Amino acid sequence: MAGAVPIVPGMPQSRKLPTLEQVRGPGAPRRFGLALAETVVGRGNQSNVIIDSALLSRRHVVFRRSGPELSLADLDSANGVYVNGVKAHSALLHEGDTIQIGDVVFVLHEAPA
Amino acid sequence: MTEPVFVRFWGTRGSIPTPGHKTRRFGGNTSCVEIRTGDIELVCDGGTGLRELGLDLLQRGRPKLEAHLFFSHMHWDHIQGFPFFVPAYGKDSELTVYEVSPGDDRVQKLLHGQMRSEYFPVEFGDLGAKIAARHLEQGVARIGDITVRCFEQCHPGRSFAYAFEVHGKKIVYATDSELDLLLGNREESLADLELERRLPDALLAFVDGADLLIADGQYTDDEYPKKVGWGHARANTVADLAEQAGVKQCAVFHHDPMHSDELVDEKIQRAVARLERRGAKTSLFGAREGLELKF
Repeated sequence: MAGAVPIVPGMPQSRKLPTLEQVRGPGAPRRFGLALAETVVGRGNQSNVIIDSALLSRRHVVFRRSGPELSLADLDSANGVYVNGVKAHSALLHEGDTIQIGDVVFVLHEAPA
Repeated sequence: MTEPVFVRFWGTRGSIPTPGHKTRRFGGNTSCVEIRTGDIELVCDGGTGLRELGLDLLQRGRPKLEAHLFFSHMHWDHIQGFPFFVPAYGKDSELTVYEVSPGDDRVQKLLHGQMRSEYFPVEFGDLGAKIAARHLEQGVARIGDITVRCFEQCHPGRSFAYAFEVHGKKIVYATDSELDLLLGNREESLADLELERRLPDALLAFVDGADLLIADGQYTDDEYPKKVGWGHARANTVADLAEQAGVKQCAVFHHDPMHSDELVDEKIQRAVARLERRGAKTSLFGAREGLELKF
């Protein structure tokens, strides 16, 4: 899980960090802080967030931070990336967006202003 | 190998830009949609979203930009971004601006007109790019492997929809059309909101089987009776069009400037529920800035 910051209940958290709340799929429930400029999620060990699901590609999706903007891009995954139910090649993200990759579902929480 | 087609929303708002926290998710920029396949860059409308597209195109680092611009019509919210489209100032850019028929010069005239010195400090003639005018012949143009067709819509001052077909994919851009004035059962559909709305055969044929229909669905059913004649459709009527034309995905577009993100969500949820009640196969969503689809 190189680069991603797992957030454990009770652990002090940066209030400035956007987080992915994993609400479904292997390992759920848990949260990942998006601390890097780019965070790759997939099942392979070259990903920053590794999730053990056969429905995920090795490098499935990348989350990018650019100033206040947060976006994602599908890394040519086999099963695609769905943002609020719409199959997206890339998307700007906002508070409460639901992101599904294979059997894994995240809810995005933006960093508080 | 067949090149994929990418569609990205740069501006989805209707009428006037609406920046601010209430419209963050769907976006406040006015109409602009990019369609890209291989090296071919197509732009539908030049609302304020065109400014962001221009900046992004420069960042992509292509040595020479060639883009083909199609305008649904020339109301402000569809042209205001053009003077701020940075590639239009670059000497290495080549832009082709399309008129819907031979002899028509409305697009060129109005792009020039909005850059007169009374309105803007740089005149159209001073732009660095090579800007060529081209027209559709009998409603059709070809750009590489892409076939473009246009279709006249129902809007004050006229507007046109465009269908782009390439390698078996079909994208239809159809904004600013008051579909509800075209219905075969218009009166009945206003009295009984659940009634299936009968769209004209010619429009259904134009949209038929689209992989993506991007269509103006500015109003809810409740709002529309006070907006008759303003040139925009009910989102639920767009849902019926998409279903009847066998559209795979439908992006409801041209969101009302009075609508917050929450109100757009409600409008979309109602249209989705309508399709679900009918067992339709069409997938419908609200177009939002920054969303890119791949076909």
